[in-house]
Amino acid sequence: MFAQLIQDPKPINYIENPVKPAAIDGYGQLEKLASTFDHVDGLFYFTYAVCIFCFVLITGVLLFACVKYRRKTYDQPAASNVTHNTPLEVIWTVVPLIVVMVMFAWGFKGSLDMTVIPQEASRNMYKATARQWNWTFTYPNSAATSIGECWLEVNKPVGFLLESMDVLHAFFMPAMRAKRDVIPGRYQTLWFTPIEVGDYHLFCAEYCGQDHSKMYAQVHVVTAEEFIKKPWDTWPENPTPAEAAEGGKKIYKQICSSCHSLDGSKLIGPSWKGLFVKGADGTITGGQREVVVDGKKQTITVDEAYIIESVLMPDKKKAAGFENTNMAVQPIDEKRIKGIVEFMKRLEETK
Amino acid sequence: MTTNVPAVDRPLLEPAPRKTFWNCSTGFWSWAGTLDHKRIGIMYLVGVSVAFLCGGLFALLVRLHLWEPHGLLFTNEAYNQIFTLHGAFMVFLFIIPAIPASLGNLVLPLQLGAKDVALPRLNLLSFYLWVGGAVLATLSIILGGFDTGWTFYAPYSLYTDKAVVSIGLGIFLLGFSSIFTGLNFIVTTHKLRAPGLTWFRMPLFIWALYATAILQVLATPVLGITVLLVAFERLYHIGIFDPRLGGDPVLFEHFFWFYSHPAVYIMVLPAFGIISEMVTVHSRKPLFGYKLIAFSSLAIAIISFLVWGHHMFTSGQSTYALFAFSFLTFFVAIPTAIKEFSWVATVWKGSIALNSPMLYTLAFLIIFAIGGLTGVILGALNVDIHLHDTYFVVAHFHYVMMGSIALAFFAGLHHWWPKVFGVMYNETLAKIAAITIFVGFNATFIPQFIMGSRGMPRRYATYVPEYLPYHRASTIGAMIIGVGMALMLYYLVASLLQGKKAMQNQWGGVTLEWHTPTPPPLENFEKPPVMEGEVYDYSKLDLESTRTPAT
Repeated sequence: MFAQLIQDPKPINYIENPVKPAAIDGYGQLEKLASTFDHVDGLFYFTYAVCIFCFVLITGVLLFACVKYRRKTYDQPAASNVTHNTPLEVIWTVVPLIVVMVMFAWGFKGSLDMTVIPQEASRNMYKATARQWNWTFTYPNSAATSIGECWLEVNKPVGFLLESMDVLHAFFMPAMRAKRDVIPGRYQTLWFTPIEVGDYHLFCAEYCGQDHSKMYAQVHVVTAEEFIKKPWDTWPENPTPAEAAEGGKKIYKQICSSCHSLDGSKLIGPSWKGLFVKGADGTITGGQREVVVDGKKQTITVDEAYIIESVLMPDKKKAAGFENTNMAVQPIDEKRIKGIVEFMKRLEETK
Repeated sequence: MTTNVPAVDRPLLEPAPRKTFWNCSTGFWSWAGTLDHKRIGIMYLVGVSVAFLCGGLFALLVRLHLWEPHGLLFTNEAYNQIFTLHGAFMVFLFIIPAIPASLGNLVLPLQLGAKDVALPRLNLLSFYLWVGGAVLATLSIILGGFDTGWTFYAPYSLYTDKAVVSIGLGIFLLGFSSIFTGLNFIVTTHKLRAPGLTWFRMPLFIWALYATAILQVLATPVLGITVLLVAFERLYHIGIFDPRLGGDPVLFEHFFWFYSHPAVYIMVLPAFGIISEMVTVHSRKPLFGYKLIAFSSLAIAIISFLVWGHHMFTSGQSTYALFAFSFLTFFVAIPTAIKEFSWVATVWKGSIALNSPMLYTLAFLIIFAIGGLTGVILGALNVDIHLHDTYFVVAHFHYVMMGSIALAFFAGLHHWWPKVFGVMYNETLAKIAAITIFVGFNATFIPQFIMGSRGMPRRYATYVPEYLPYHRASTIGAMIIGVGMALMLYYLVASLLQGKKAMQNQWGGVTLEWHTPTPPPLENFEKPPVMEGEVYDYSKLDLESTRTPAT
C-alpha cells in the first residue's frame, strides 16, 4: 500500500538553502541568543539547575539505598518500618511549592514582555503571511514583498502581524526565542529586537501538512546601512532573459516545487514538463495541453498569457486530471511570472 | 478379541488438576463470550500488546527515516502518515487502555477480594468496543491512512483528503470502551470490597484506578463530542472549527485538550498505582505516606481538569488565561513530587530485591524524575514559548508516556505474570531486557532534549543539517530499545511454552491477590476473603508461600 509512497532515490524533499546561523555556535544547551529576551535563557538555566539538583538527589538516594539495603537472604525483613515523618513531609511539600512559585512569577513576567508589543515595534510592523508551504513578508509602510527570505534591521524592535491563508502554522525563530501560532481567520502578533547581525532560521512549528518541514525561511539581520539599500528588492528593472529565468528558478524552488515537478512525475499539481517544446529548428514553442473550461475539455497551446492566467486565476483553465485540485492564488506579480515563463522555456533548452 | 475392560478411572490414580480460570472451560466461545474479568483482561493484554508492537514498529520507521536530513525512506506524505499512526496507535490503542483495561481488569477484583467486577457484561462490551475501535483504526490505514498527527488539529484535519472520519469513529468507540471500564471500576470499588477492606486499607493500585476511572468517566465524553463534530464538519460542512465557514480552529484546541490533558493522567495515574505496589512489595516495607499518596492521586485528578491551556501558550490566549493555566500547571508539580519522594522514602531502609519488576520500577523512578522535572521547565510561560512544539516537548512527553507509563506497565506485567499465568519467565533475560530498554530509552530521548532546546521543531520529515548528530544518536537509541523489546517478547512467550512453575506467592506480596492459589480459580477465591489488619503489613507475610510452587 505504501509502495507508491516510498521515496525516489533522489532527495526531493531536502530543504534547499538552509543558512548556517551566525548564532548556532553558542554556549550551553540553548543556541546563542540573538534577541533581547534574555529572561528566557535566565529562567531556563535556573530551572535546569534546580532540576539537575533534584534529579541527582533522588537518583543518588535511590541507588545508595539499592546498594546498602539490598535483600541478601530471602527472608530478610526491612531495616525499618517507618511510614511517616511529618517534618520531612512538610519540607518536601513546602520547599518545592516555594521554588515553583518563583519560577511561575519569573516566567509570567517574561511572557508579559514577549506578548505586549512596545510602541517602537508597532511602528516597524512587518506582515508575515503563511500558506502551505511558504512564508511571504510584507515590509513596513511599503507594498514590497519577499518570499522565503526576510531582511531586518539590527537593534531595531520589529513587530510581525501574522496571518494564515489556509491551516494552522507557527512562526518560530529559535535564535530570537520568538514563537506564535498563525491561525486562519484571525491576526496574531509577535515582536522581538534582533541584536546580532547574521542569518537565522525561521521554522514553521505547527504541523501543517505534507511539506510542513520545508516551510522554511531565512531571516537576515543586517546593519542600518545595508538595510537602507532594500536588499529584498532584487528584481532587475529590465532583466535579460537569462536573469529573468534565474529569478524564476528561485521562485519555483520557494513556492511551486511542492506541487509541480519538472520531470513529468505527478505531484499535487500537473508537471511542468512539456509546457514548452523545442521544435526541429531549435526554436522553443508552446506545447499542447488539455484543460477543462466550464466542465468541458479542450486542448490549448501554452503561451505566456496562459501561464499568467494560471497563476493569478488558477480556477479558470484547470489541467485535465486535476479538476478537483485547488491551487491557491500566489503572491507573484506579472514581471516575476514572466521570469517563471523564461525558466519554463529554459527547462526544455537545458536538456 | 475385545474384552470389556472397565475404563481406568484416572482421578483415582492421580489427583485431578486444580480448577483454575485457565482450564475451567475450553473452546472459542468460552473466551470470546467470557464474563470472567481475568479472561477479559488476558484478551485486552493480547490486544494492547499487538497495538504496542505496531506502534513501536512505526516509531522505528520514523527514527530510521530521520537518519538523513532529507529523509532516508519515505516521501513527506508517507512520513506524516507514519508518525501519525505511531501517535494514534500508542495513545488511543495502547497507553490509555494498557494499564486499566488489561492489568486493572486482571488485578482489581483480586485485590478487592471480589468474585468479579460489578458489571461483567459491560466489561465484555467495553472489550468489544476496543476491538471495534482497533478495527476502524486499521481500516483507516487501508482507506488511505491519515496524516493529521494524533491531535487532529483543525482546520487541517477538515481539509486533508485522508481517512479522518474512519479513525475519528474508531476513537469515538475507544472512548466509550474507556468510559465503560471506568464506570465498572468505580462501581466495583464502591460495592465489592471484601469485609474489612476499608478505603484506607485498599492497595494503592486500587486508589489509582479509582481516580483514573473518575477522569475516564468525566473527560472522555468531550473527546467523543469533538471527534463527532470533526466528522460532521467533514461530511456536512457545518462551520464549527473551519474559519472559512465561520468556525474557530482554536475552539478545537480547547475541546481537544480539555480531554487530552486529563487523558495524560488517565494514562499516568494507573502507572503511579503500579509503582506504589512495586516499591512496597519488592522492598518488603509498608508504603511511606500511604494517605498522602492516595489523596495526591485525587488531587492530581481534580487539578488536571484545569490545566489544559498549557498546551496552547502560543495560541494567543489572553494574559489572564496564561496566568491561570501556568499557575495551576506548577501546582500539579507538588502532588507529583510528593509521590516521587514517598516512593524513594519507601525504598529507603527496605529489604530491596533487585528482581526484574523492581528493575523496571527503579528505571521508572529515574526516568519519571526527568520527565516530571522537564515538565516544570515547560510550565514556565516564557520558556515554554521557546520550547513549545519542539523536540524538547517530544522528549518530555516520551519520558512521561513511554519511559514512565510503559515501564510501569512492564513492571506490573512482570510482577503479576506469575500470578496470572502460574509460570515464571527467565529472570536473567528479564533483567538484561530491563537494563537494555533503560539505556536505549535515554540514548533515544536525551539527544531530543538537546536538539529541541536548540530549536528543532517536531513533526519534521526533513531537517536542517545542523541537527544531524542528535537525530542519529536518537535513532541508534531507538534501535537499542527495539532489541530490548524483542528480547522481552521472546522470554515472555517462551515462559508460556516451557516456563517453570511460579511460586504461590512469587514476590512475597501481602495484598489479597496473593491470598488465593496461583493461578486463581474462576471465582478468584476458594472462600470469600476477609481483610484483617492494615494493608502492606509484612510482619504477616507467610514466607513459605514464596517457596511453594504453584499448582
